[in-house]
Amino acid sequence: MKVTTVIDPSREEEVVIYAHQESALVKEIERIAGGTPIELIGYQEKIATPLDMEAVCCFTVQNGKVYAQTHSGVFELKRRLYQLEEMLPRRFIKINQSCVANIRQIQRFDTAFSGTLRVIFKNGYIDYVSRRQLKSVKERMGL
Amino acid sequence: MNIYLKRFLQRGLVFGGFGPIIAGIVYYIISLSAPTFALDGKEVLVGIVSSYVLAFLQAGASVFNQIEHWSLARSLFCHFSLYYIAYVTCYLVNAWIPFSWDALLIFTGVFVGGYALVWIIVYLCARHTGKKLNEKL
Repeated sequence: MKVTTVIDPSREEEVVIYAHQESALVKEIERIAGGTPIELIGYQEKIATPLDMEAVCCFTVQNGKVYAQTHSGVFELKRRLYQLEEMLPRRFIKINQSCVANIRQIQRFDTAFSGTLRVIFKNGYIDYVSRRQLKSVKERMGL
Repeated sequence: MNIYLKRFLQRGLVFGGFGPIIAGIVYYIISLSAPTFALDGKEVLVGIVSSYVLAFLQAGASVFNQIEHWSLARSLFCHFSLYYIAYVTCYLVNAWIPFSWDALLIFTGVFVGGYALVWIIVYLCARHTGKKLNEKL
């Protein structure tokens, strides 16, 4: 199989497979590139709802509880933030001690009066990049 | 021990030693330009101790910006206040400025100007980083 790799930080990461037929190799590439789908259950007023990971803007810790900030509301999770960090795909990045952000759901970065970077998510939620996490955020964003 | 207090002390201990080194270099430069410049034992001791304490507090104060549950106003106030008190005390005990209201007023003006200048530079750097990150989105 011919393999071509294009390094272009400006484009979204994507793997496209052209094959004559389904094969073990194709399935293995799909598995590695796609990663194992993550199934998370969020709770809103004691009602359990499967979370659409694409719609999750970020995971935050408030009063010791972990919440998922999504376009359809805020859901409580029964996991710890460090557990989520370990299982989430690379598009999720820790931006401060209490927040793991979905890069695809960041609308823009803004500069606060203090000189810290604020993160404005597509659902309107606002958090910030701590100085401690700034280096890793920049690296992950390709700077 | 509170994690931020621990970090404050750790940073202070790591960087505190640079204070006397910098003070020594400054004294040396002054002695080159003024051959009659001399310090007695007490002045040397006060210079070493005060510059150590100044560097200790200055290094430790960087923790204030990282206490994530503090508001901006609180961290800025604590950071500025500690810097100002540490610098004023150090300058007065070493007699680098005379103990008079006029001298204190001028010192305060220069200090606030310097602090604001550094803050503006930090702000502009953060804004530049934000702009670059937005381009990557």
